[in-house]
Amino acid sequence: MWRKEDGNPQASSEADSGTVNSTSSTKSGSSAAAPLAVSPRATACVSQGIKIKGELAGSEDLFIDGQIDGKISLSNAVLTVGPNATVKADIAAREVVLRGRAEGKFVATDRIQIWNTARVQAELKSERILIEEGAELHGRIEAGKVHATSSVGHGRKGEVGKAKDSSSTDEKNSSGAATAGAD
Amino acid sequence: MGFLNKLGIAIGGYAPRNNAGTLPHARQHSGRVHAGAVAAGPHREPEMQETTRISNGLKEFLWNLEGLGRGTLLDLGPAWQTTLSFFIERGFRVTSEDILRDWSDFQKKEQAAPKESLTADDYAQRTPEALAKKFLTENLQYAASTFDALLLWDVLDYLEPTLAKQMVWHLTEQLRPGGVVMAMFHSKKPEKFHRYRVMDTHTLQVLEAKAIVPAQKVFQNREIQDLFGRFRSMKSYVGRDQLRETLFIK
Repeated sequence: MWRKEDGNPQASSEADSGTVNSTSSTKSGSSAAAPLAVSPRATACVSQGIKIKGELAGSEDLFIDGQIDGKISLSNAVLTVGPNATVKADIAAREVVLRGRAEGKFVATDRIQIWNTARVQAELKSERILIEEGAELHGRIEAGKVHATSSVGHGRKGEVGKAKDSSSTDEKNSSGAATAGAD
Repeated sequence: MGFLNKLGIAIGGYAPRNNAGTLPHARQHSGRVHAGAVAAGPHREPEMQETTRISNGLKEFLWNLEGLGRGTLLDLGPAWQTTLSFFIERGFRVTSEDILRDWSDFQKKEQAAPKESLTADDYAQRTPEALAKKFLTENLQYAASTFDALLLWDVLDYLEPTLAKQMVWHLTEQLRPGGVVMAMFHSKKPEKFHRYRVMDTHTLQVLEAKAIVPAQKVFQNREIQDLFGRFRSMKSYVGRDQLRETLFIK
């Protein structure tokens, strides 16, 4: 004979194992403090009003909206400098997202993003750098893949043509007719 | 049709489009605001105007770098996403240093230094030659033969002539043999301050910006040749706006 419980195997299994989840406890109206649903993978955060002076290191993503003065090293993780943050640090991470005030030397193995709210005075080094229109950026940027072997200025495609060009322009230059209108 | 045009009425209606369909000369000198490319940011100068410019210098610059594969480029203007992306996509490693901004900051710092109780030695440190030397020891510190290409823009027009001379010497050292430089020179003192960014292989976007430093000198052709005397060749393109785009090959 069919019974109601048979049609809902999940409910029966839960009942068998005796597990009670937070929703069931709230449904039952119990006032016992249910544990907060905090994911162990939630981004760590240095919130507004917090000041840190020193060295930060880790391998998890970090969001900073406070003040940091020192050195930050996040291997294989994303560091976000929030819109309210003031960071004066040397940063090394997989990815750096700049949305607030930042000063220092920033190296990212993957990329650096500079949002239009950012005010950056730094040396930036990464394979990819994304700058949003309106971002304030002072400093030096090194972007692109690091070349293992340095390229040499010889043997380029246009070398022969260039030599021809150069001789002709050199002649022009030496005769005082330096410029050639080409527009 | 012509009558309609005179009245400002065109058949087919107005559809906003970029400058791609216009003639090069019209594009270059129309002075139209390139509204389509304006992006709003909180720190953006509101009066900033953008126009495009056909650049034969850029075309030639790229032609010289073609086939290089993985090259290194030094851009002495401000860092723009379009310029960075353009060269990175072509396999370049780009270093960007806004040298005019650095020079302006350097000057401010020097002027802010206390002027009382200056000794003769201090005065000696403030000559244009000494200041140029000091500036170059604090900036543009790269090993010899680091770069394959250099975008100098119109920077030299805005630098103290002494510094311009020392900087060219300094940069020549940092350029590999066969390296290419693209520079621009105004034929008369520029009325407005502009920044440049690469749009495509033959188009530059010219952005009117707040002057960081005043224009210093209008270089004559002979002076330009002397400045770049260590380069084996030089080629110039003069636009109708009298801006000379000049290529130098080391």
